[in-house]
Amino acid sequence: MRMNRISARTHRHHLAATVGAAALTLALDVSAATPPSGLIMAWNIDAISTFDPAQIGEVVTNEIIQNTCDPLVDFDTADETKIVPRLAKSWDVSEDGKQITFHLQEGMKFPSGNKATAGDLAWSLQRVVKLGLGNAATLTEYGFTKGNVDQMFTAPDDATLVMKLDKPYPVTLILQAIAANRVAVLMDRQTIMKNEVNGDLGNKYLATRTECVGPYRLAKWNAGEAVILQANEDYWGKKPALKQILIRHVAEAGTQRLLLEQGDIDVARDLTPEDLADLEKRPGVTIDKVLKPQLLYWNINNADPILSNEKVRLAMRYLIDYDGLAKTVMANIGVPRASFAQIGAVGALDEKEGQPFKLDLEKAKKLLTEAGYPNGFEVSLLIGTHSYVSPLAQSVQENAAKIGVKLKIERMSNAQLFSRVRGREYQTTMQGWQTGVPDAHGNASRQIYNPDNRFEAKQTMFPSWRAAYFSEDANKKVDDALFEKDPAKRVQLYQALQREMMEKGPQAYMFQIYNVAGVRNTLKGWTWNGFRTYYDMTSK
Amino acid sequence: MTSLVVARARLARTKRQNGVLRFAASVGRTTVSIAATLLGLVTLTFFIGRLLPLDPVIAILGDNVSQEAYDTMYRKLGLDQPLIVQYGLYLKNALSFDFGDALTSGRPVLEDIARVFPATIELATVAVVIGTGIGIPMGVLSAMYRDSLIDHVVRMIGLIGYSTPNFWLGLMGLTVFYASLGWVSGPGRVDFAYEFTIEPGTGFLLIDTALQGQWEAFRNVVSHIVLPASILSFGALAYISRMTRSFMIEQLGQEYVITARVKGMSWARTVWVHAFRNVAVQVVTVVALSYAFLLEGAVLTETVFAWPGFGRYLTNALLAGDMNAVVGCTLLIGIIFVAINLLTDLLYRIFDPRTR
Repeated sequence: MRMNRISARTHRHHLAATVGAAALTLALDVSAATPPSGLIMAWNIDAISTFDPAQIGEVVTNEIIQNTCDPLVDFDTADETKIVPRLAKSWDVSEDGKQITFHLQEGMKFPSGNKATAGDLAWSLQRVVKLGLGNAATLTEYGFTKGNVDQMFTAPDDATLVMKLDKPYPVTLILQAIAANRVAVLMDRQTIMKNEVNGDLGNKYLATRTECVGPYRLAKWNAGEAVILQANEDYWGKKPALKQILIRHVAEAGTQRLLLEQGDIDVARDLTPEDLADLEKRPGVTIDKVLKPQLLYWNINNADPILSNEKVRLAMRYLIDYDGLAKTVMANIGVPRASFAQIGAVGALDEKEGQPFKLDLEKAKKLLTEAGYPNGFEVSLLIGTHSYVSPLAQSVQENAAKIGVKLKIERMSNAQLFSRVRGREYQTTMQGWQTGVPDAHGNASRQIYNPDNRFEAKQTMFPSWRAAYFSEDANKKVDDALFEKDPAKRVQLYQALQREMMEKGPQAYMFQIYNVAGVRNTLKGWTWNGFRTYYDMTSK
Repeated sequence: MTSLVVARARLARTKRQNGVLRFAASVGRTTVSIAATLLGLVTLTFFIGRLLPLDPVIAILGDNVSQEAYDTMYRKLGLDQPLIVQYGLYLKNALSFDFGDALTSGRPVLEDIARVFPATIELATVAVVIGTGIGIPMGVLSAMYRDSLIDHVVRMIGLIGYSTPNFWLGLMGLTVFYASLGWVSGPGRVDFAYEFTIEPGTGFLLIDTALQGQWEAFRNVVSHIVLPASILSFGALAYISRMTRSFMIEQLGQEYVITARVKGMSWARTVWVHAFRNVAVQVVTVVALSYAFLLEGAVLTETVFAWPGFGRYLTNALLAGDMNAVVGCTLLIGIIFVAINLLTDLLYRIFDPRTR
């Protein structure tokens, strides 16, 4: 009887609690669904600091610019080594290979209503070089200077842009490196120059907005909060199916996962390997990944007397447990890669030949003995704050210790790490590098080629200089491959260089990194490759 | 007789004049003290910021940049000037409320703070209301029933509140109340659906939606704030309840309490009307301090709940080496503490006549 009373009382309490909770839920608006005409994405967007194409240097802003500002030409969605028209509907190349004439689409307008012309495009390109900010190097690398850029980019009429080159570079490479890059976007000169401050060519004005021709326009940006893109009604091309792209800043991976599972977002961009593994098994969500042109590598300072020895550097490659790490720490993050040219690039070795190494302590020990260090040595390893780098460093440290090499790991902020590397103030580091072109030249020109190894030359944009690696022979091979006319032979030259560098090169490349996203199945047509994400191809 | 009246009037006037002088001196001392505190804070933060091994140029331009571009930005930021010149320039601009542009957003620091601070004030205010509303009765009950089951439960809750990381609590709260039960909305201040419908106003979404009569949006804002505010309030609740318990135990042992009981006053009236009134001043201080800490220390909760607030803004600025934003935020934190201390002093004067 007593039990019955207690049970009844408990039941009443449960009922009351449930009714109370239900009432509260009804009172609050907790409906969860993404709008049918918009895409909602959770992403850590803390790094956004400007929308000026001349300055941006990080992944999030790059993706936003690519969807708000059309480039001259574009990467084929299915095959990033192929180039397709965008702002330019066609192009001609002069016989000597030193001039490309682009014929632009007709009827293009800026969101301001101003007519968009080839003159605006020439000005946009010239502006990048004149400002001399981060992305000027994309152009200066191919002979454009502040002194010549006005003559190198000209617009004989409103629909024609002429690009002159100082040397006959491979046309495909120029199209990939410059014409498909964020530096070759069509910007609203009139509006921007109205807002110029102290001759900054609108740099401050563009810190918080875009003024371009593209399928979307930047409607709102609240730093550290959200980015909202609105479909551009005056867009010259096919109108996007989704009218709004809403990127909400969510820094915590666990929170992103919850939002995705609940259907409050369509796409999550910063999921952890554990979350990805779990979500793969859940209905309603697809894990989408694509290799990006980013390599994670063990960066070795060749100015160090021990590390300048080729055999020591080769031994270090045998300390990396490529297979073991690929199955554990790097699952869903990247694939093993020991070559400087990323998988999928023109001239790159295939997946198997581009990664011939495996953990082999005996071989590493033998190489160290031959190099004159039978008892090993002590060396520091600086790492940044990427979550997966720390376990990679610890794995290498453990293997190194077995052959007498003492690796001292030092963790610091990424900005601090970059400063140390740019100043050559390190012995070894573990960090990433991303090229902007699907061609072996992209990395050969920075990772191998070093124009001037003197410390005072400060060639800090070359990782080869930062690593104090200089080889006249390697420089010549990079140049020879660049200017080789026969495409098949050009590929052979790059492949030979990769094989040589895996034995003698300055760095120990470890993994090529994926772009990974959790995508709800209600979103159709999520399209990306290593270089671009195409919001305008998505629908619901 | 007349001379006595005159003498008394003179004495009263002198007392009044002395009172005014004392008040003026007190205001003067307080003003100098506040100015010195804020100046010290700016100076310390400025120089520590410049000594930290963080490179603002790399933070802006990224790693892959030529030395020429690096040097250009270095000069543009004025980092080529001697440190003392940079400091002087900063102080000069700060006096006209120009704290420079934040490197991470490209906007004036003051504008950034004005944007993110209301989100934090709103969250912290709701949290402190919850923490105070529950914490004070818990503390009083715990003192009234000292060493009983109630007391043990309250102390246990306090211990959990102190020792459980907000980060973990936040994730657990989201998993249970948002993902499993669906009682509250997820991270963020409001659903995206309302982003365009709420007109910018005070920056406090609860107030803006109510003033604009958007009750559906208001309910949505409440459903977003209730969980992070509850979790954030847990630590404050623990602190307030433990301190209230401690103050009340001391009061309940006083002779006047026994006298009141002997005279037949009810236990509830004795506790709430007499004993609690005597600890109100101390409790106000505790609540004020809790509020100040909530205003500047909600970083983890803001991160888990994707709450675009002040704590997260400051942390990101620190990690990016954005010293303009860091110094601006530090100054604001200093002002908050100074303001709350002044407010507490004022409340002391109201509640406790001895301090007047």
